[in-house]
Amino acid sequence: MKKEEVISAKELTKIYRRGSEEIHALNDVSFAIRKGEFVAVVGPSGSGKTTMLNLIGCLDTPTRGSLRLNGTEISGLKEKDLVKLRRENIGFVFQQFFLLPTLTVRENIELPLLFNRKDGYKSKIDEIIGLVGLKARAEHLPSQLSGGEMQRVAIGRALVNEPKIILADEPTGNLDSATALKIFELFRNLNSQGLTLIIVSHNLELAKIAHRKIYLRDGQVV
Amino acid sequence: MNFVTLAIKNLLRRRGRTILTILGVAIAIAVLFSLLSFNSGYEKQLSGELDNLGIHILAVPKGCPYEAASLIIHGGVIPKYLMGSAIDEVKKVDGIEVASPMLLQQYYKEGRPHIVYGIDSDDMKRLKPWWQVEGRLFTQNEGNVLVIGRNLAEEEGKPKKNVGDVVPFGPDGTPFTIVGILERTGTQDDEFHFVPLPMAQRVFDKPDQITTIAIMVKDISKISEISGQLEKIPDVQVVTMTQIMGTIMNLVGSAQTLLISVIIIAIIISAVGIINTLLMSVNERTREFGMMKAVGASGLDIGKLVFIETLLITAGGGILGLMIAIFGSGLIEGFVREIVPYAPAGNLMTPEPGLIGLCLLFSVGIGFVCGIYPAIRSSRLTPMEAIRSNLE
Repeated sequence: MKKEEVISAKELTKIYRRGSEEIHALNDVSFAIRKGEFVAVVGPSGSGKTTMLNLIGCLDTPTRGSLRLNGTEISGLKEKDLVKLRRENIGFVFQQFFLLPTLTVRENIELPLLFNRKDGYKSKIDEIIGLVGLKARAEHLPSQLSGGEMQRVAIGRALVNEPKIILADEPTGNLDSATALKIFELFRNLNSQGLTLIIVSHNLELAKIAHRKIYLRDGQVV
Repeated sequence: MNFVTLAIKNLLRRRGRTILTILGVAIAIAVLFSLLSFNSGYEKQLSGELDNLGIHILAVPKGCPYEAASLIIHGGVIPKYLMGSAIDEVKKVDGIEVASPMLLQQYYKEGRPHIVYGIDSDDMKRLKPWWQVEGRLFTQNEGNVLVIGRNLAEEEGKPKKNVGDVVPFGPDGTPFTIVGILERTGTQDDEFHFVPLPMAQRVFDKPDQITTIAIMVKDISKISEISGQLEKIPDVQVVTMTQIMGTIMNLVGSAQTLLISVIIIAIIISAVGIINTLLMSVNERTREFGMMKAVGASGLDIGKLVFIETLLITAGGGILGLMIAIFGSGLIEGFVREIVPYAPAGNLMTPEPGLIGLCLLFSVGIGFVCGIYPAIRSSRLTPMEAIRSNLE
């Protein structure tokens, strides 16, 4: 039996305007991603990878075309509804971690719960800290962590809202190859637990462990 | 973790900047509180001091009546005199309870001015029934006796002069016996020498001359009517205590106008400083806000966070400013005493709870006003714009 589609895009187009210039970041792109898939989005710089990720993550809305997230059409949704959809479905991991320097590992991981108005999740946070392998570092500040550890915190933060999809933008871009390998393992582990993973990466090693690759060039799937 | 702890941790990231901004607010609030506190304290003390004079009207020689009255209260000397016969005319007016002649003089000894009141002791007992005297008050016909204010009898809290001491008095240093020392009144009386009126007239060579007639009326509501009657006496001008208070408050009011202008400028500068600090902080944290939105924060959440940070800064500044004003009130009062035209005895600045609450509320109000724009700006950032610089 085929698994259900969590993401489905049809003729997805995103145009940015810079002054009088129009930049076609995505051009009539169609694709589908099923539940539990591990997809790597690859392509050269400027091919539209990150734009695709932002649209899927409800951080932006398409100029044209259709994009359904868990059955909900995101085109034309208001900011309030995008926030709700994002909270319930998406966990984001960034290349530059974006950890708050004055918060401990535990507090950084807890941050999304503050916005989601969820209390009493201590055991959930402990479980995530264990999952990302930072039990001994829970009360440390980001300045006391290595790059790999910081990315683990960012992954933990993405997991705390129990999202259905993890979107990672160049998650190993700032890490050395040994540390990157450990992060790959962590992603593989998360995927094996049923999470859908979509990763934008230049790292071909990481792309190799994905179930499927979506190649983008000049805003189109090739 | 909640929004307040997150806001506090954010502010602690840039401690130096946060402390300087809080200090800016604190200074503005300290000045505001000091002025308001001085305003109410001054009026209260002045009104109390005038009440404690026990006098409703002063009859003074024609000239500058308000200046003369202010000097008389303060213990100054005016170069004009009424003739002693004026007292008989004054006493003829209906509704007068006490009319007491006084001669004010001043002499210098050891480089310091000594202020002398020639008084009628029986009248003074009626004008100032609260006077407590260690020893006794003199009688009107006694010679070479005086009563002194408590501050003249003590030096740094220790007795310097005692009842029974014979001291040189007046410009010639005639020996006078201290028959009484006033218990502390908390007013200017603590600084004065009191002698029987005829003795003062003799020592200072002012035969049959008086400086003023202190009048207490039977019914306060009749003061203006009685004043009108007194004005008809030749060479006499009358000043009521209400008029004196009004004149002094007007003089103080002009000094306050200047201070208020300074405060308004201080508050505007501090408000612009807060807005600037917050906008800088919002700009620096654009990507961070983008991340927060990506992990589930709404625009309202981001705006709320920035708003709480503003309120923490201004409330912190308000509390610090009040502490500076309350603990530094002695210094501030000393400075104010130098610049106002007349400063009554007693504490001019008393921290009243209502005023503390008002200033705190005002500082939070500044926070509301200053926080709105940065909060709206940060809440409107779209996550894409916020993180774009990091993306392709």
